Amino acid sequence: MNTSIIRYILGLVLKMEAALMILPCIVALVYGEYKGLLSYLSVLCICAIIGFISTHKKPESHVFYLKEGCVATSLSWIILSIMGCLPFVITQEIPSFTDALFETISGFTTTGASILSDVESLSYCNIFWRSLTHWIGGMGVLVFLLAIIPLSGGSNFNLMRAESPGPSVGKLVPKIKTTARLLYIIYIGMTFIEIILLIAGQMPIFDAITTSFGTAGTGGFGIKNDSITSYSPYIQWVVTIFMILFGVNFNAYYFMLLKQWKKSLLMEEVRYYFIIIGISTAIIFFNILNLFSNAFDALRHATFQVGSILTTTGFSSVDFDIWPETSKIILVLLMFIGACSGSTGGGIKVSRIMILIKTVVKELNSYIHPRSVRKIKIDGKPVEHDVVRATNVYFITFMVVFAFSVFAISFENIGLVTSFTAVAATINNIGPGLELVGPTQNFSVFGPFSKYVLMFDMLAGRLELFPLLILFHPSALKDMVKKSNNY
Amino acid sequence: MISNIHHSKNGLNIIIVGCGKVGAALVEQLVREGHDITIIDKNPQKIQNYTNLYDIMGIVGNGASYSVQQEAGIENTDLIIAVTGSDELNLLCCTIAKQVGNCSAIARVRSPEYSEESNYLRERLGLAMIINPDLETAKEATHILCLPTALEVNSFAHNQAQLIKIQIPESNFLDNKSIAQISKSLNAKFLICAIERDGKIIIPSGNVTLHKGDKISFAATRRETINFLKQIGFRTNQVKDTMIIGGGKTAFYLAKILINIGISVKIIEQNKERCEELSILLPKATIINGDGTNEELLKEEGISTCKSFIPLTGIDEENIFLTLYASKISNAKVITKINRNAFMNVIDDLNLGSILYPKYITSETIVAYVRAKKNSINNSNIETLYHMFNSQVEAIEFSIYEPSAVTDTEIMNLNLKNNILIAFINRNGVITIPSGQDSIHVGDTVMIVTTHTGFNDIQDILKD
Repeated sequence: MNTSIIRYILGLVLKMEAALMILPCIVALVYGEYKGLLSYLSVLCICAIIGFISTHKKPESHVFYLKEGCVATSLSWIILSIMGCLPFVITQEIPSFTDALFETISGFTTTGASILSDVESLSYCNIFWRSLTHWIGGMGVLVFLLAIIPLSGGSNFNLMRAESPGPSVGKLVPKIKTTARLLYIIYIGMTFIEIILLIAGQMPIFDAITTSFGTAGTGGFGIKNDSITSYSPYIQWVVTIFMILFGVNFNAYYFMLLKQWKKSLLMEEVRYYFIIIGISTAIIFFNILNLFSNAFDALRHATFQVGSILTTTGFSSVDFDIWPETSKIILVLLMFIGACSGSTGGGIKVSRIMILIKTVVKELNSYIHPRSVRKIKIDGKPVEHDVVRATNVYFITFMVVFAFSVFAISFENIGLVTSFTAVAATINNIGPGLELVGPTQNFSVFGPFSKYVLMFDMLAGRLELFPLLILFHPSALKDMVKKSNNY
Repeated sequence: MISNIHHSKNGLNIIIVGCGKVGAALVEQLVREGHDITIIDKNPQKIQNYTNLYDIMGIVGNGASYSVQQEAGIENTDLIIAVTGSDELNLLCCTIAKQVGNCSAIARVRSPEYSEESNYLRERLGLAMIINPDLETAKEATHILCLPTALEVNSFAHNQAQLIKIQIPESNFLDNKSIAQISKSLNAKFLICAIERDGKIIIPSGNVTLHKGDKISFAATRRETINFLKQIGFRTNQVKDTMIIGGGKTAFYLAKILINIGISVKIIEQNKERCEELSILLPKATIINGDGTNEELLKEEGISTCKSFIPLTGIDEENIFLTLYASKISNAKVITKINRNAFMNVIDDLNLGSILYPKYITSETIVAYVRAKKNSINNSNIETLYHMFNSQVEAIEFSIYEPSAVTDTEIMNLNLKNNILIAFINRNGVITIPSGQDSIHVGDTVMIVTTHTGFNDIQDILKD
């Protein structure tokens, strides 16, 4: 294994984190939080120093394969989270390291599950950093790196592949660097529009920026204890629309930028995504109609919650834990479906569900016509057998990890619904579940062991299982041990 | 904003249709030069392999289809290169691309029937280039047969200057002499540009000493080449006859050219029908019907006395064994054609005489065109570009159109990068091998030999 390139990439990631920490420093300055400023500055220095040391020596070879790409990606996310949680610990606002790490991983993986019962007591710089982690994690750390650093060569695609969600990762344009830049231009542009629209709705600037970060990354850290509940209907609508927009495959926006409207509207995945939103909203709307005084409120909350859960954002406009059973079940099912591939959302992804369902239909057909030949198609193009196989394996692995996690946290003895939805909400990067981890509750009910299990789930869900699981593969482990011996 | 990103400063948007051997060589070369490449092939596995290996975009489909070309972004493409296995498909790809987009097009056309008409086709279809790998390979082989002591012959400045690669035999005049000594003791104008020793490339200065077994490349005018080679004891006349094994397209083109310049040709081909075809097409050649890998047949046809021997079968291993055999039992000049390029290091160690890589010959011709096109867009000034020593060395011919830091300064006062030589200056058709006192003027063309890659402008030779 090319360990030198992994070290180099990790160093770059740390340097980038150091650069990003300048932002909370500025916030601390603006609000005069000198304790916060000091803690962010010190962590910034640590990151920068380690970063410069490990990138000082250029790697011997720039060639690396999927294996290295996956290991580098997983380790990047882990290191990023460990360094990112230090300010919370140093400022003593989240004194426990485990809790701080949980909060940070939840941030970077755009989960939005919190262990804080009183978010509003945090200092501004910490709230800002917490929301910023969503924004960084949403489009991907390494994609960001690829957009700005001069790592050249085709091997870099292996980094992007390890980090980007979806069954098959494509490029928008021939060069990775340009692709990554385009993605970030779209991402930044949309975030900016949302901030403007929120400010136009009388939202305070700080709230608008942090809420937009949470929406853009489909994260879901609220900056108020009751998430988005207390904001005006206008703001809730804006957030709803943008949550749904950030859950769309970014290729669609690229085609729009190129003015190929037809192409972007014809994307099968996006079409199904909107169909799912439409149907679930309709059912929930009629189901909860009697809970609200007027139909507009019911419609707003139904749309908001469907958008929030399907895109795996996890904001809440209302306590949906008290909704009728049918609505809750729909929301739990939506958790698993997730957003489109190539978006910032989590979950299994609409495209994978499409492939899985089409495989089932194909299997059924083969019972009726045992010799029939039929290829699964998406967007009118046949899906390669490898992709179908990988999707099936992904689904099975997902279920296995899911089952083990539910089992592992069952020792907490806090009820099946809580355990089940806690794992579902973390592995799908959503945030709130039901009952004890419902929208008005938080994850502080769990013990440290369960928290680590859930942290693993969040990372596994964000990196789509395999890049993280490969760290535990015996030969990868052996390679890494060898690396430390050679060091 | 988007259009900015699409036209990144240095790269062209290029679509390559067909990922065979030539396609792959092109991708490798053009990616290195920073172009934005999209490949189209029907085989998803190939697309997968190459997109994993290089920073390019891949599309599975038929390159001649309008919708596939659209998907590849034909509107923004500067150049389409069709190198699939089928001539007709290549021409169709280019024709359609010309209709849809505003791009130049290069098609590979191998069949001799079309090749005769390639100029007509090119003009009528508005193509930038029609390339025939077999014909190019045959031309390259001809160059070598005309100067059989050379391993490689490249021509520059409208054939006036040449870059010749030779290997120094044992107890040769050059053995154990430094370059400064050699230039003093010989009465010839030449410049040794590159030395390959144990697989390493040296761009030499005056105090480097040559040894037997070194492969050297030198630049000289046509006349001085002969002069130099004679003085160091190399033969300089062209071969009298040649024996070609395998009667494929390359063999046909080669035989045709050789017969025209008065070299007698013998072709051994296994397939009876092909033999009859060849005998009609090449009435002056001797066509033998038989197995070219049969030792007895080769002896019977006089392999031990023939002056040159060129196996052109489709199988690399056969070609290699045949040349090894030929160089063992005869003094013939041998040329080996190698299609694939796995195990290059091993191949280099064998005594295979001159080696031809058809796919590189093809890709280099195309790359030279791409560079010229890029230059016309970016205002650069490369005339021709050659790769030597497995692409480790580039020889680039620049036209000097305007005054710059490089012009009107004595060469010895220029702050050149390491591993750069100015091989010759062409001033109004007169070739000079420059010394330190010479300088470059506006209107000259200058040839640079270097181990750096990606030079675009003559100023790139200066240290930053």
